[in-house]
Formats: sequence, C-alpha cells, structure tokens
Amino acid sequence: MKRFWLSISILTAFVLNIDFVVAQNYTISGTIRDAATNETTVGTTVYVKETLQGTSTNEKGFFSITLPKGTYTLVISYIGYKEIEIPIELNKNIKINEKIESTAITKEAFEVVGEKENINTTKAEMGTVELEMEKVKTLPAIFGEIDILKTIQLLPGVQTAGEGNSGFYVRGGGPDQNLVLLDGATVYNASHLFGFFSVFNADAINDVKLYKGAMPAEFGGRLSSVLDISMNDGDMKNYKVDGGIGVISSRLTIQGPIKKDKASFLMSARRTYAGDIAQPFISDSSKFKGSNYYFYDFNAKINYIISSKDKLSLSGYYGRDVFVFNNSDDGFGLETPWGNAIASLRWNHIYNDKLFADFTAAFTNYNFEVKATQDQFGFRLYSGITDWNLKADFNYLPSILHQVKFGAAYTFHKFTPNNAEVNSGDVDFNTGDVIINYANEGAVYVSDDWDLSEKIKIQAGLRYTIYQHIGPFKRFNNDALGNPIDTVVYKKGETVKYYQGLEPRLAARYQFNSSSSLKASFSQNYQYIHLATISTVSLPTDAWLPSTEVTKPQFATQYVLGYFKNFAQNKWESSVEVYYKDMKNQVEYKEGALPKDDGGNNVDNNLTFGKGWSYGAEFFIKKRAGKFNGWIGYTLAWTKRQFDEINEGKVFFARYDRIHDASLVLNYDISKRLVLGATWVYATGNALTLPISRYFIEGQIVNEYGERNSFRMDAFHRMDFALTLKGKETKRFKSSWNFSIYNVYNRKNPYFIYFTNEGNAFDGTLDLQAKQVSLFGIIPSISWNFKF
Amino acid sequence: MLKYNSLFMLIISFMLFSCEKDIEIVLPDAKTKLVVEGNIEQGRPPFVMLTKTTPFFSPTDINSLQNSFVKNAIVTVSNGTTSVQLQEICTNQLPDSLLPAIAELIGVNLESLKTFGFCLYTTLNPAIFGEVGKSYTLSIQSGNEILTSITQIPSLVLPNKFWYKDQPGFTDFGYVWFELNDPPQIGNAYRAFTQRKGKDSRFIPVLGSVFDDQFINGLTFDGVFLRGKEINSTNPDDLGETADYFQQGDTIIIKFCTIDQRHYKFWDTFEIAAFNSGNPFSSPVTIQTNINGGLGVWGGYGVSYDTLIAVDL
Repeated sequence: MKRFWLSISILTAFVLNIDFVVAQNYTISGTIRDAATNETTVGTTVYVKETLQGTSTNEKGFFSITLPKGTYTLVISYIGYKEIEIPIELNKNIKINEKIESTAITKEAFEVVGEKENINTTKAEMGTVELEMEKVKTLPAIFGEIDILKTIQLLPGVQTAGEGNSGFYVRGGGPDQNLVLLDGATVYNASHLFGFFSVFNADAINDVKLYKGAMPAEFGGRLSSVLDISMNDGDMKNYKVDGGIGVISSRLTIQGPIKKDKASFLMSARRTYAGDIAQPFISDSSKFKGSNYYFYDFNAKINYIISSKDKLSLSGYYGRDVFVFNNSDDGFGLETPWGNAIASLRWNHIYNDKLFADFTAAFTNYNFEVKATQDQFGFRLYSGITDWNLKADFNYLPSILHQVKFGAAYTFHKFTPNNAEVNSGDVDFNTGDVIINYANEGAVYVSDDWDLSEKIKIQAGLRYTIYQHIGPFKRFNNDALGNPIDTVVYKKGETVKYYQGLEPRLAARYQFNSSSSLKASFSQNYQYIHLATISTVSLPTDAWLPSTEVTKPQFATQYVLGYFKNFAQNKWESSVEVYYKDMKNQVEYKEGALPKDDGGNNVDNNLTFGKGWSYGAEFFIKKRAGKFNGWIGYTLAWTKRQFDEINEGKVFFARYDRIHDASLVLNYDISKRLVLGATWVYATGNALTLPISRYFIEGQIVNEYGERNSFRMDAFHRMDFALTLKGKETKRFKSSWNFSIYNVYNRKNPYFIYFTNEGNAFDGTLDLQAKQVSLFGIIPSISWNFKF
Repeated sequence: MLKYNSLFMLIISFMLFSCEKDIEIVLPDAKTKLVVEGNIEQGRPPFVMLTKTTPFFSPTDINSLQNSFVKNAIVTVSNGTTSVQLQEICTNQLPDSLLPAIAELIGVNLESLKTFGFCLYTTLNPAIFGEVGKSYTLSIQSGNEILTSITQIPSLVLPNKFWYKDQPGFTDFGYVWFELNDPPQIGNAYRAFTQRKGKDSRFIPVLGSVFDDQFINGLTFDGVFLRGKEINSTNPDDLGETADYFQQGDTIIIKFCTIDQRHYKFWDTFEIAAFNSGNPFSSPVTIQTNINGGLGVWGGYGVSYDTLIAVDL
C-alpha cells in the first residue's frame, strides 16, 4: 500500500509539472557531431553561460534546452574538443546542429573526455561510471587482451569473480543480477573461455556506462547493475582500418561511409589462435590429438541518417567458444560449442525540439551444448535462452528544469534449461521430455530529472513490470526421493503464473556549493529470471531459469547515501558512498542436488530459496586530468545469505563476499608517444567451504564439511604494468606497441585449495595434506595495434 | 560411465601457467558425529560398524584410528516381526569364513583386515538374517545419542547376460558388459562389485558402482563395468593406462545387487564427492546419508552372482 501511495504522489508530481510549463518558453535543440568523422558525440555538455544551467547530449548526440524568452550565450563543450560559444536571441524555437573539432590529437588519449567538469557533484544519480575507451586501452591487460569487464572490476563496489575472470559482482549481487546491454540487446553470457575473457572486442566499443546504484527507471529486469555498452557507429567520412596482433588473438576492424555523411558501416572480428591455449598441453601426449580450443567474435553495425530527424542503426554480434577434447586411449570425445548471437535494430526519431524517441527491436540468443561420446555411449547436454525484445523510449524536455523519460518494453523469453540426451548404441535413454519454458515480460516507466531549486535536484522514477509464465508447460510433482507422483500439463498460451510489481526509483542531490554535494537514493527492482549455479564459478553450464509458481521473482531494495567533493578546480574528484541492499527470493541448488536431477524434471524442483543482504562503504578518489591521472578505490563491505535449507538455516557469507576490496589505477603520460599504465588490486580472500572432520566408508576417506563459506583463502593482490609506445604517425598510418606485465611481483595468489590423501589408513601410512593452487604468475605480453 | 569432468581438463590446460604448494591450514573445531557403515544381504547376518568423525588433521596412526571405533553401543536390527540386538565383535574373534564379507563392508583387503583388527556389531542369530523383500530397521543407542535408519532388500533383477570385449586400441584389455531389463515401475537401483579370481581378495565396487532407472526405466539396455581398485592401491595392475580394465583370461565373479533408493542416493553422492574432490569448479557435494541422527549408510542388498571368463568372442 505504501508503494501505491508513493507512486501516486510521483505521478501527481508529473501532472502538476506539465501544468506549470505552459508558460512563454522556447527551445534550443539540435545534434552535435564530430567534425572529422561526422559521428554524433555522446555526453557533450551544452549549457547557458548566464545561468550555468545545461544538459548533455544523449546517446544519439541530441540535446534540447527550454528557457524563458531572453538573450543567452550557449556553450558547447567537450573535453578534447574546441569549445564553441553561440549568442542566442531566444524569441522562437531554435535548431542548432554544430560540429565540434578535436584539439591536438595527442591530447585526446590522455584527457578525460565526455564529462562535464563537475558532473559528479551536480547530477542526482549515484554510482554511475562511464569508461573512456581510450583510457581503457592504455591499462595493463593479461595477454595484452584489452577487456572492459576487467576494467569495470577496478571500480569500487564492483568485485571480480576471481583471478583472470571477467565475471563481476556489484554490491553483493550475483552475476545474473547484472544487465549487460550491447546496443540495447541483452547479453546473457558476457565471457569467453569460462570467464577469462569478455565477449566485448574493445575496438568495436564506443561507450561503456555502468549503473550500480539506483538504476534509472528506463532500466529494469535486474537487481544489481546495468552495463550499457554501445558499439562504434562507423566513420561517416573516411574508410578506416584498426587492428591488433597479440599473443593469443588478433583483431581487425573496418569502418567507413556507405554514403558520405549519410550512412556508415563498421565490421570488427577477433579470433584466438586455434588451439594455442590448449596445444602445449596436448602436444605432450598425442593421444589427445584433435583436441582444440578457440573463440571468435564478430561485430557489425550499419548506420543510416535518413533525415535530420531520423536515424536508423542495425547492430549485430556473433561469438562462439569451441572446445574439442579427444582421448583416444579411452575412446572419449567431447565437444562444447557455446556463445551469443545478438541483433538490434534502432530507430531514433526527433518529433520536435522537446520530444525525441528511440525504438529498439532486439533479438538475443545464448546457447550452450556439451556433446560427449565414449565407446557406444553418447551424451548431449544443452541449455540456452532466447529473447525477442521491443522497446520504446521517449525523452521529453518540457523546460530546462525537467528531463522526462518515459517508455515501454516487452520481452518474450524462451528458456531451455539443462536438457540431456543419453544413448547406448541404438537405445536412447529416457531422459524425459525436452523442457522449454516460455514467458512474457512487460514494463512501462516514467521518470523525471527535476531541478527543484539551485541546490536540490531530484530524479524520480517509477517502473511497473508484469511477468507471465505461459504454457506449453509441464509441472512434475515428485515425492521426496524425486520420483514423479503426477504431472500438471498447461496448454500453449495458458498462464502458468503471473507476477507484477511496482519499482520506485528515487535519487536526490543537495548541492552545498559548486564542488560538493550530498546525494541519497532509494530503489526497488524486480528480476524475473534466475541463474542457478551448481558449481563455484560461472561456468557456461549454468542455466537461465524463469520465474515459475515455485520460483518467485527476485526483489531488491537498495538505500544509498553519498557525499561528493571536488578539489583543485575539479581536477580531483572524491566520493564516499554507503549502501544497504536487501535481496529476496534468491535461489541456490538444494544441498546434495546433482546436475542430472534436472533431467526430465523441472529444474526448480531442485532449488531452494532464501534471502541475501549486502552493506558497505565505497571510497573513491580520482585525478581526472593532467599528465598523471588515475584513481584509487576502496570498498569495505559485507555480503551475507540465509536459506532455511542450506547450512542448517544459519547465515553464511556469499561466495563473492569481499570485506576489503581496493584498487589503484594510474596513467602516466611520459611523453607524447609513451604512456605508462599501472594497476594494483587487493581483495579479501574467497570464502569457501572446507572439510573440518573426516571418517571412513569402505576404507575411503570421506570429508565432513564445516559451515558454508566459513573459511577464507589468503588475500588476493597483484600489480600490473603496461607501456604503450606510439609509432611515428603519418597522416595515413598510426600504430602502437603495447607491452604489459601481468602480476609484476609474481604473487602466488590462491586460486583454489584442495586436499590430498596418500598411503593406507590401516597400516598407519596415511598422510593428509592441504594444497593451494595459484593460476598466473608473472606474464609478460606484447601486442601491436595499427590504424589507417 | 562418462567423464563429465573433461571441461575441468581444459582448465587444467590453463594450469601450464599454474603452480601448486603445500599450505598449513588451521581448521575450526568440529563437533564429533557418529558414523554408521552397515549392510544386510539375503542369507547373511547384518553387519554394523560404528565409528565417530575425527578432526580433519588429527593424527593418522593406527592407535588413533582404532580409537574412532565406538564401543558398548546398543545396536538393534528389526525386520518388523523379529528384533535382535547385535553383539560387538572384533575381527580377530570371527571365523575366517566371515572375513571376506567384512572386508567388503569395510572396504579393505583381507590382509589389512587381519593386521588392523576392526570392531563391529553383528549376530549369528539366523532369525534376523537377510530375506529378499523385507525391510530392516536399525536403531543404535550410544551414550545419549540415538541413531535410526531403515533399508530394504529389494527383489532381485538379474541381468540377461554378461560378456567381455576388448577395448578398441587395446589387445587383451577391456570392460565387462551386461544387458539388463529394467522393470517397468520407476525406482529401481543397482550396485555392482567384481572380484577377479586369484587377483582380488574381496568384491570391489566397480568404478561408478551405482546406477538407477531415472533415465532407463523399463528399458532393455547394454551397460558397462569399469574395474574398481583397492583404495590407494600400489599394485602394478592398478597403475598405468590399463588400470580401469579387466584383462583377457581373468575369471571375474560379478556381484550384481538391487538396492533401495535412499541406499542408492548415498552411494551416488558418495562416489560423486570422491570424484569431485580436488576439482575447484564444484561445490562440496553433500553426501545424502540415510541415517537419522548421524552419518553413513545402512543398506540392504539383493544379491546375485555370476561368473564370467574374460574372452573376447
């Protein structure tokens, strides 16, 4: 009921607003482009010099400001570009389409681009971080493979899933609670090679934005974060080729105009060298002949400016990991292809100078398959998820004090949780029906960025979501031993279960002065899909599951309070944020559940449900500009869970709990051609479950485990360096060498711990020993990148 | 039967960069729990071994191990009409004819059995000897602790035939194959042991010794047995590439058993736990005991025996 009244009052506020703005106001609007490439520039600041009120261009380079009649100076500012001042006599609606010119080329790489100087203290949002791709590229990377997801992990409040892993956890939320979007389409599994590399080819990426705090109302469907990634549009004027040759992979990007200033394309491909990763291991014993591992991905985008009011873009991604394993000794063969296929079509349309819209149609598919054969036995396990998604997002700018966003989204989900096929010769084992789940998910939202006064700004939003699990569907009711008692059959289109929810999002800022502010936010989110993990890392075998009558939607409430302060003319930024997040209807497999229990069964029959919560403080200091720049982040946090059927109902630490998590990121511009990047990370050791006692069964040692995740491995820390050396530039050709050293001081970080037992218990020769395995020692690597 | 773990092998391949070291770990104190290892077969007395858990890194000398036997417990087995209290016996008091059965129960070879001296609870009262189709309730009282369990000796299901076949790529080494008609009702489960005459001193569970009819209910199908080995065996037979195979010429006695579902779940989870140990990508597997108030297993076996001379026809 409380939520109902809150939503009513927010909606009333909108209605009242609209009454206010029927005054004598005019609008300045337009699109800002890069003069060199004719690509639109995201995040360009456009403000009125006299009042210092302003806005920034959206994802399409569009801006709109509505002001009372008067004389103004409009400033267009984008760091790394020449600032433009335009005098304006505002007595009618005005259109301004400007092109901005880049300043000295060397500057672009080292200065923070795309940020209004004091944006972190003035905006109401919290926990929003934008990554500058140029800067990401000068940071150290394992095997020289630049990875935006690993850069994300260097931010406070974002934890890594483990050594070399691109999986990430935001403020105590699981990896399934991050919404990863590529040009508006969902990416379900953002990693290659069991998490060692992300699926995003840095050359194809234009802009990366992470929301870890109160998500704006335009986003939903996940509890913890949104990672909004947009691909490069493609150069509208010139053909360009970028590429890189690295230790384990190479990549190539081609872009250029299809029709000058009208249409452009971009194609980008990356592939690891066939088998290089697995080959050294294989060559030792030829019985593994035919074994191989590789991944590749392909990005493509076409942009078409139909008119000054309409732009169309079509983006696609296709990536696959292929792992083949053969052992001729025991006639064993295994093949596991998996990957994502993603496409999105976007149309953005400017209705008038106050209203513009984005329409997106997206398709996404993630598939995983294991095919194994041994002698006459065959085994196939497959899972996947496919989404068809439609979205309409509107931006309405009634006055300079308001930025209203509203829209709707619809998704049709098709889930294929773990399905297995087994055969022995000609006999097919009965692994039950193929289980596919279907669901509809819908959302409508409205939000307003409202400058209440000079000091107070509010971002209020409300999202209403509905979810419907529909047939065809079979519910298996089983007895305690897992044997079927009866089956309930739902026909095609029949509702199995219906859920709905209101998700209020509120963020407010109080500005003390131009360099400091206090912010607070409150948000609630529903998540209708789940990822149940049977193992300790996010292997691709984890299957996405729908909410059903058994599995209730995940629900989170987050409270955040933050203080933001800039120093030295905004050259230094600092912030402290404290948060508390409460998560309901979390899923885990029941203790003792085995993957094969999912066969011919509803996966949720093997799940158990509980709650989680996380709280902590995040400290952040960043030097934004200058020869020497970078940041320090530190997070002090606790993440806990409680499930009635796990750990005897006692509270336990989440696997990804990190009490201390610190990172240091530095960029030093040694000369015009030489950039040094360094990172250092420190994290509390992983929580894990260890045996505390033992007994014998049939002469074999059996471990009796202690409380779940009650043991900590040693802390993880590591330093990496990268040196980027730019080759001599000609007008047509640019190149750079990237040298990096991973784990400079060769720290043996614990990756996992296991126990060995040797000898015979019954003649007194038994010996037990704990062993710790570390993954990567010091690894130097080199890559060469070029552009022409 | 299949090596699902090969994904793990890929990760291992990554470990060409990895290294390993011995570490010291201080583990928290653990509460001692009682562990039951008991079985009953048709025509044989019940055997129950009662031990207690010990801290993981506690001493492993023979004296400490012998201290883990729980003595003076009141152990009773009932078949619904007759209830018999078992007597505590140590192996040195037992007739030699019973020792192989004990060796099988405890999972040690006869030599260890004779030198180590195990203590267990059993009876020579034939009124409680196992019968096919009957259920057996176990209750144990030790100090203040009470443990209970129930198991069944299910009706026998006899495989249609057994045969031996050389494994492609090998001469004279191969697996034992069988054809089985699974009965129409769901819930059948099986456990198999083999003993090579002159080579093994007891029936050793085959590799992946249990299976149930979750995916094969009512089907006729061919299955395969990989040879099991003594724990931490250093026998040359049990090392190297042919360790999982039987050898042409072996005389193999196959002990094929029907077991009830909770009994099956214990061995299934037990074997997966053993298989997963040391695999960083699996969470610890919880072994599903059928003992209320303790750990371990109380299992009934419906046993059939076959002898096969390993000849590839």
